[in-house]
Amino acid sequence: MSASGATLVVEELVKTYPGSRKTPPVEAVRGLSFAVAAGEFFGLLGPNGAGKSTTLGCMTTLVRPTSGRILVDGLDVARQPAEAKRRLAVVPQNRNLDRDLSVRELLVYHGRYFGLPAAERERRADRLLEDLQVAEKRDAKPLTLSGGQQQRVMIARALMHDPRVLLLDEPTTGLDPQARRQLWRTLRDLHAKGLTIILTTHYMEEADLLCQRLAVVDHGRILAMGSPEALKRSLSAGRVLDLWLRAATPIEARLSALPGVLRVEALAREDADELQRLRLFVEAADGLLDRVLHEVRDHGGQLDHVSLAPPSLEDVYIHLTGKELRE
Amino acid sequence: MTAFLALLRRDLLVASRNAGFLLVATLTQPALVVLVFGNILPRIGLVASEFRTVMVPGLMSITMLMAGVQAVLMPLAADLSGTREVEERLLAPISALGVAFERIVAGGLQAALAGLLALPVMILLMHRVSGVDVHPNWPVMIPLALVSGLLSAAFGLNLGTRVQPRFSGLLFAVVIGPMMLFGCAYYPFASLHVLGPLQYVFLINPLVFMSEAMRYATTPDVPHMHPALLFGGLFGFTLFLTYVGSRSFLRRTIL
Repeated sequence: MSASGATLVVEELVKTYPGSRKTPPVEAVRGLSFAVAAGEFFGLLGPNGAGKSTTLGCMTTLVRPTSGRILVDGLDVARQPAEAKRRLAVVPQNRNLDRDLSVRELLVYHGRYFGLPAAERERRADRLLEDLQVAEKRDAKPLTLSGGQQQRVMIARALMHDPRVLLLDEPTTGLDPQARRQLWRTLRDLHAKGLTIILTTHYMEEADLLCQRLAVVDHGRILAMGSPEALKRSLSAGRVLDLWLRAATPIEARLSALPGVLRVEALAREDADELQRLRLFVEAADGLLDRVLHEVRDHGGQLDHVSLAPPSLEDVYIHLTGKELRE
Repeated sequence: MTAFLALLRRDLLVASRNAGFLLVATLTQPALVVLVFGNILPRIGLVASEFRTVMVPGLMSITMLMAGVQAVLMPLAADLSGTREVEERLLAPISALGVAFERIVAGGLQAALAGLLALPVMILLMHRVSGVDVHPNWPVMIPLALVSGLLSAAFGLNLGTRVQPRFSGLLFAVVIGPMMLFGCAYYPFASLHVLGPLQYVFLINPLVFMSEAMRYATTPDVPHMHPALLFGGLFGFTLFLTYVGSRSFLRRTIL
């Protein structure tokens, strides 16, 4: 992986949390490498516990890597933490706004921590409050704000010191759908203005909608990396046909032999209603459904219901990990 | 340094906004003790009136210990058990060690101020009582109060990072309480010779040196510890508690 031109480079990152007498060590990250270009919107997609937050923590010096290194604008985060921190900004997973200050004060103080001159920090605070549509809450204490408003104040705070890279850790978890869409708009606007953004999420839809490039992460490793479109194309299927059926005999082999069917995967049963779930990756759907229906019936099976859709990131994820994303 | 001063400024601003609450929290105890032991009991004749002079510097040191511990312990306990406001500080362009030092300095300043305010409050409450022989030597007392404040805040950093918040009630019963009783607040260290060699066990308690330091600066006529031991203990404990407290802070905040 080349470091040239990349704003952020992660090389062979490993983090093992030491165990104690009662708990075994946890290998949270097991050799992650990726590079994010200037102005890119990059996503780390994976279930809870995949190592996303640990990776972000290593970027921000809050977690000490076991091995590997991270460069921000060519600066080694471990060697020049103060300089690296000036170039980074973080919107953490839990809301950690300074609850003893008002919204405007906490922005101005954040600017102070980063040594912004007085006039500039006041001006930036006012502008960011406007930009992020929280100006009417400028004198309120953060705990009186809604979750979505607190989230926007955290983004405003992150932007106070004019970072190169904005890191967001599961930013929409716990937001209502409206606040979530508003946050997406905000992030797209920031990206359009040239900010490099790295986001972790376990929401497929969010990753698909926002990110130019994604790393699918599980158990501390990258399983696949590419644009959402490329990842979906990697399934090399025009459509994904899901079948819920009751079959007397195993039928996967029969179905995969049908013309137009590329691959068949058996998915875990969802519940106790004894429906078997099969996923067919198919070239095109023309006339296929009829052939599938015949095949199932001819073998004494019964089709309960089907769904036919273009491949989604969810399908990519299931294909890569063999399981559905744990929500 | 910019970040350090900005954090300090933020902490002192928040403390000044809570000044009323903080003053009530820290000055109530010495005021009530003075009222009972410095006023009521001597009048009844149950306590010798010299006790008033002895306890004034002791109560200053207790006030500083309580104020310093609380100023650091309370926000830290909240942080480590969930709010994680400390992460914003750790992401500022300052080392994690700098963040820990700032906590100690901010707590230390508050503690020193609380101790220095306790003195006039106590004198005021006993102003019509005879036999109070307090002559504060301000140029000596202010720096000693500052060091005592830092010691208290560093002690608070240790408690806050080493003790789980659910045990904080217990903390006052089994740590702070005994420290106050055995901290030479209500008797000078010199008078402990009655205990023989046992008196040196008291020296494991940092409050002993704070009380003796205040005694050294406010009541010259009461016998006090040898200055070499006094300053050695006061500065030694301050450095030691700062060192181990910062290490513990790093362990709890940087994973």
